[in-house]
Amino acid sequence: MTDCGCDKAKAELEEYLHNELAKTDAADIAEHIANCGDCTDEAHVGVVLTQAVQRACRETAPSDLRDQVLLTLRTLQSNHSAV
Amino acid sequence: MTTSKDDTATPTESGAVASEPVTAPVTAESDTPVVDVRTLFEAQAIPFMDQLYAAGLRMTRNPSDAADLVQETFVKAFAAFAQFQQGTNLKAWLYRILTNTFINNYRKKQRDPYQGTIDELEDWQLGGAQSVTQGRSTRSAEAEAIDHLPDSAVKNALQGIPEDFRMAVYFADVEGFSYQEIADIMKTPVGTVMSRLHRGRRMLRDLLSEYAIERGINTSGLRAKPATTGSKKK
Repeated sequence: MTDCGCDKAKAELEEYLHNELAKTDAADIAEHIANCGDCTDEAHVGVVLTQAVQRACRETAPSDLRDQVLLTLRTLQSNHSAV
Repeated sequence: MTTSKDDTATPTESGAVASEPVTAPVTAESDTPVVDVRTLFEAQAIPFMDQLYAAGLRMTRNPSDAADLVQETFVKAFAAFAQFQQGTNLKAWLYRILTNTFINNYRKKQRDPYQGTIDELEDWQLGGAQSVTQGRSTRSAEAEAIDHLPDSAVKNALQGIPEDFRMAVYFADVEGFSYQEIADIMKTPVGTVMSRLHRGRRMLRDLLSEYAIERGINTSGLRAKPATTGSKKK
C-alpha cells in the first residue's frame, strides 16, 4: 500500500521519534501509526533501539576523576586570585 | 587622538583599551561581589560529569582517555565560564567543549579509515547495513530481541559503527539533544546530522539483529526468555 500514509510515516519516522516534527505533522504520523500494524511495529523497533542505547550508555564517573577535577578547579582558582 | 563618544575614559586609557574590548566586562564583574565563580561552576557544571564521562567513553573507547577528556573539558569550561551566558543551555555548551576537545586532541591518535569521508560513502561501502524488508512477525521479534540484548552487546555494536554516526546517535538518543543542538555541537548542517543519525541507527539495528541471531536469541517470533546468566541491571 502506498496511498495509506505508510510512505510518509516511514519516511518521517525517525524525525517523529526524535520529536523533530511540527505538531500537525507529528499528529498525522501518530494517527497513521495507531491505525497501521506495520508502522506500529516499525516505530516500536525504533523506540526499543533508543531504549537499548540509553540503557547501555549509563555510566558513573570514577570517584577519583571527580576528586581530581575538583582539586584542579581549586588550584586554577587560587592561581587566578593570586594574580 | 580624541574620542568624542567616550567621555568617561581619559585619552590614555581609551588608547590602551582600544585593542582589548574584553576589559570592560571583566572589570565590571570583578567589582561586583558575585557568588564565587568556582562555587557556581561546581554547582552547575559538575553534575554533568557522569554524562560527560559516558559520552567520553563512547568517543575515546577507553576509560583512561575518557577520564582525561573529561578533566580537560572541565578545565576549559571553567576557564571560559565567564563567557557562558547564564540561562542558556549549559549541557549543550559543555558538550560542545567536550566534542571539540575530543576532535582536536584524541581523534588524531585514532586510526579511522573512514575519517573525513564517512558522509560521502554509500551504505554498501560501509558494510553491515543490509536494508532488509521484513515482515511483521520478524519485526516484532526483532524488537523483542533488541530489548533483551545485554548492555555489552549494545556497547560493542556502538563501537562498531563509524564515529560520526555513533556520536550523532549518542547525542540524539542518550542525551536527547535536538537536531539543531547536535548540529551546533558537531559543527555540521542539520541535514548531515539527520543523515548520520539515520544511518547510524540503521547500522546499529542491523548489528544488533545479527548479534541476536548469532547468539540464538529468539528472532523467529517466539517469546523466548533471555538466558538466565547473571542478573539484568535495571
